[in-house]
Amino acid sequence: MTKRILIIDDEPDIREATQLCLEIARGWEVLTAGSSAEGLQKAAIEQPDAVLLDVMMPDMDGLATFERLQANPATHNIPVILLTAKAQASDRRQFCQFAIAAVITKPYDPLTLADQIAAILEA
Amino acid sequence: MFSTPHDATLSEAQQTAFAVLLHRMINQIRHSLELPAILNATVAEVRAFLQTDRVKIYRFDADGSGEVVAESIQDSRLPSLLDHWFPADDIPPEARELFLKVRQRSIVDVSTQEIGTSPLIEGSNGAVIEGDLAFRTVDPCHIEYLTAMGVRSSLVVPIVAQGELWGLLVSHHSEPRRFTSAELQIMQLISDQVSIAIAQSNILEETRRYAAQEATINQITSLLHALPEMQLQQALRQVVQAFQGMSGRLYIASQGIHQPSQFFVEGRQPVLSAATNGLDQRSSPPVLEHHPLWQTWLDLEPCAEGGWLVDNIELSEMPEELVTPLLSAKIRSVLVIPIQYRQQVLGHLSVFRSEIDIERIWAGKPDQDDPRQSLPKRSFESWKELKTGQAKPWTAFDRELAHTLSNLFAVALHQRGLFQRVRSLNAHLKRDVKRRKKVEIELATLNSNLERCVLQRTMQLQRTNEELIKQIEQRELIIEERQRAEASIERLSHQNELILNSAGDGIYGIDAQGLITFVNSTAAKMLGYEVDDLIGQWMHTYLKHSKSDGIPYLLADSPIHTTIRQGTVEHRSGDLFQHRDGSTFPVEYVSSPIRECDRIVGAVIVFKDITERQAVEQMKDEFVSIVSHELRTPLTSIRSTLGLLSSGLIDDRPDKSKRMIEIAYSNTNRLVRLISDILDIERIKFGKVAMEKRRCNAAELMVQSTDAMRAMAEREGIKLSLTSIAAELWGDPDRIIQTLTNLLSNAIKFSPAGSTVWLTAEFADSHRKRKRVRSSGAYVRFCVKDQGIGIPEDKLDVIFDRFQQVDASNSRQQGGTGLGLTICREIVQQHGGQIWVESRFGAGSAFYFTIPVFSGG
Repeated sequence: MTKRILIIDDEPDIREATQLCLEIARGWEVLTAGSSAEGLQKAAIEQPDAVLLDVMMPDMDGLATFERLQANPATHNIPVILLTAKAQASDRRQFCQFAIAAVITKPYDPLTLADQIAAILEA
Repeated sequence: MFSTPHDATLSEAQQTAFAVLLHRMINQIRHSLELPAILNATVAEVRAFLQTDRVKIYRFDADGSGEVVAESIQDSRLPSLLDHWFPADDIPPEARELFLKVRQRSIVDVSTQEIGTSPLIEGSNGAVIEGDLAFRTVDPCHIEYLTAMGVRSSLVVPIVAQGELWGLLVSHHSEPRRFTSAELQIMQLISDQVSIAIAQSNILEETRRYAAQEATINQITSLLHALPEMQLQQALRQVVQAFQGMSGRLYIASQGIHQPSQFFVEGRQPVLSAATNGLDQRSSPPVLEHHPLWQTWLDLEPCAEGGWLVDNIELSEMPEELVTPLLSAKIRSVLVIPIQYRQQVLGHLSVFRSEIDIERIWAGKPDQDDPRQSLPKRSFESWKELKTGQAKPWTAFDRELAHTLSNLFAVALHQRGLFQRVRSLNAHLKRDVKRRKKVEIELATLNSNLERCVLQRTMQLQRTNEELIKQIEQRELIIEERQRAEASIERLSHQNELILNSAGDGIYGIDAQGLITFVNSTAAKMLGYEVDDLIGQWMHTYLKHSKSDGIPYLLADSPIHTTIRQGTVEHRSGDLFQHRDGSTFPVEYVSSPIRECDRIVGAVIVFKDITERQAVEQMKDEFVSIVSHELRTPLTSIRSTLGLLSSGLIDDRPDKSKRMIEIAYSNTNRLVRLISDILDIERIKFGKVAMEKRRCNAAELMVQSTDAMRAMAEREGIKLSLTSIAAELWGDPDRIIQTLTNLLSNAIKFSPAGSTVWLTAEFADSHRKRKRVRSSGAYVRFCVKDQGIGIPEDKLDVIFDRFQQVDASNSRQQGGTGLGLTICREIVQQHGGQIWVESRFGAGSAFYFTIPVFSGG
């Protein structure tokens, strides 16, 4: 089943590679946003099935963006998967405090990333 | 010498007899000192020589009467007149005066009624010239007198002794006889010899009296000075005897309270009536000397030398009240001798003589019909006259003796008074001495007892002292041990205190109730208190011990009290203690129980403030997180792209494949730079990269740096402006160039196109604009200034920390790792310089750093 995935990440190389991974692996429709603001806007408009959200972003970090998505009824129900390079235990404890669907740690396996997301969304 | 009288009428025999007579008379006088014997011998020899019927020696009495004291009679041809007295009128005063003054000698011949007189004239040269006999008719009365006496012729020669008419040498003859002038001359010679004998006798008598008086005085003196007590009674007796008194008394006046008046009496004493003293008659008779009349009489009666001498009290001025009792006591004469020492009357010595009866044989009785005795005596018949109640008058000798005795008694009584006073004093002294001796004995006894007690006490004290000394020695040993122990404890305590106070960790102890018993200075300082503020406080309240989340521990849940309660060692990290100012700080502590005799008496808590450690850990975590993130980010791109490429999924899409390869390559470079920078920082920071310092030229380094960055600047449209300085630096030129290029790169990155980046250098003293340069010597201060976006003020202090880009994404877009400024800081600091930034957000930045100038050598 085709899904629409929104990638919000300030790293353009990562956005580009991840988008390619998901498109090639599952043929999903992948939307990207280079900043939180852009991502919030696209999420509300495009109503993706899931949002892959980077945490470390300069203008607004991923957790703040998540809260904004949660706060917006239009994006409230969109599952958010953190796709982050922050892999410390303390980071994980922090992420647990949010109603996040899943956390996928960078660098992810490009060949299984789509499967992981699919499994998360199906769970 | 007598010469033999030469007279024509004196025969040779008579002359011889006269010589013999004279010789015998002289011998008699020489051989005998007894006047009666001499007188008796004289009258005998003279009568024998003159061959007259009677030769007598008549002695005048003081009143003019006289007594025949020696007589020689021839065959009773004339009656004896021996011891017969003749009244004074028989030889009238005028006749006695002639006898004395002209030594009138007379020869009376009753038959011829002639009287021949011859004076004895004393010449101016002392020679005696006998006057011629001058005859005249004798007084008929004289004739009658002689005739009545039976005398027909008489020869009278005066006997003058020692200038006084002593008596008469008289020769009577019952027959008419004519005495010749030679006989008269012989009689005169005899009279002269008698005078000598009388004088000698008087001298002898006087000598005897004086000797007797001296003996009496000596005796009395002995008695008065007898020891141990003067014999006043015996002395009084001697006095009475010396004055031939019947009685006497010695009155010693009072000499004060301690010496009352005293009386000594000898013989019969007058008894005064109490009434005469105005006293009750039943009272004891008053003492004579205390009798006021007696005292008045003595006051009024003139006192002659030797005292008051009254021959006959009946004839004296003595009051009748005194005379009567004296007479009653048969006292006729009174001698009162004052005993006076200087002006002090010490008493009176009184001697009483009894009245005497005087019996005299008178030659012829006075004519009762002729009371004036104007007619010659007609009879010389002896008759006895007895006069009773007569007084024996006091003589000059008595007076002299009285005077002597007065002095004697005065001295004696004075001495007695002194002696009594001395004795009294002695008695007092003796009593005192006795009392003192008694006291001394008592004292001696007390002393003895005291000494015994002292001895006992001393022995006890010695024993006690010995015990004390032992105890003291033991105590000293204990004290020494204790002192050593205390010193050791003090040392240990001091060491402990030092250790405790030197310990970097806070340490405090609490007792079983949780009260602080000790606390070190570190703990006090960490908590914001003084040590003394904390002692005795309940630590749980003071610390507000709470968990890491800020929730206070209940006391029961407190790990520290668990230690006290259960004796367990509790270790916690992250709990919070409260500072005095109300802030809290995280601590790591170990709470250990303090045990004493298997009993938990408290706990010791060692804690440290882990704020910094937590911050470091947080920084480390953040650093690791950032590094992890920064490493994982390019790795993500690399892995994704390489994964896709390796999977062959995009083999049919060459553009995508090429793009993926570019991404992979780009991120690989990024990763290399990142790793290189990280390693550089660590190596420089920990000194693992040695600065290869050498002398280098500042201008050259600046040119090299701008040249290196010129291409980038041109690409970004930035103008590089260089103002170099000719300065020799001491540093690692490659690292200085790295610093300069880093700063230039940053300036270019963050400057808008068309702007200018300036690189300048100048000499600087030890100061920089904001802080003093610590190092000595001059520096070159480099400055890289841009016109870029600037740095917010809150970032100025952290801009040189790792991964502290103002805009990370932008930085990454510019190829930055976020470690450039950190590397610059490390390089500058390794050169002894400083680096800082001055900037205003939106108005560009100016980065400065200093490098020491080469100072030579």
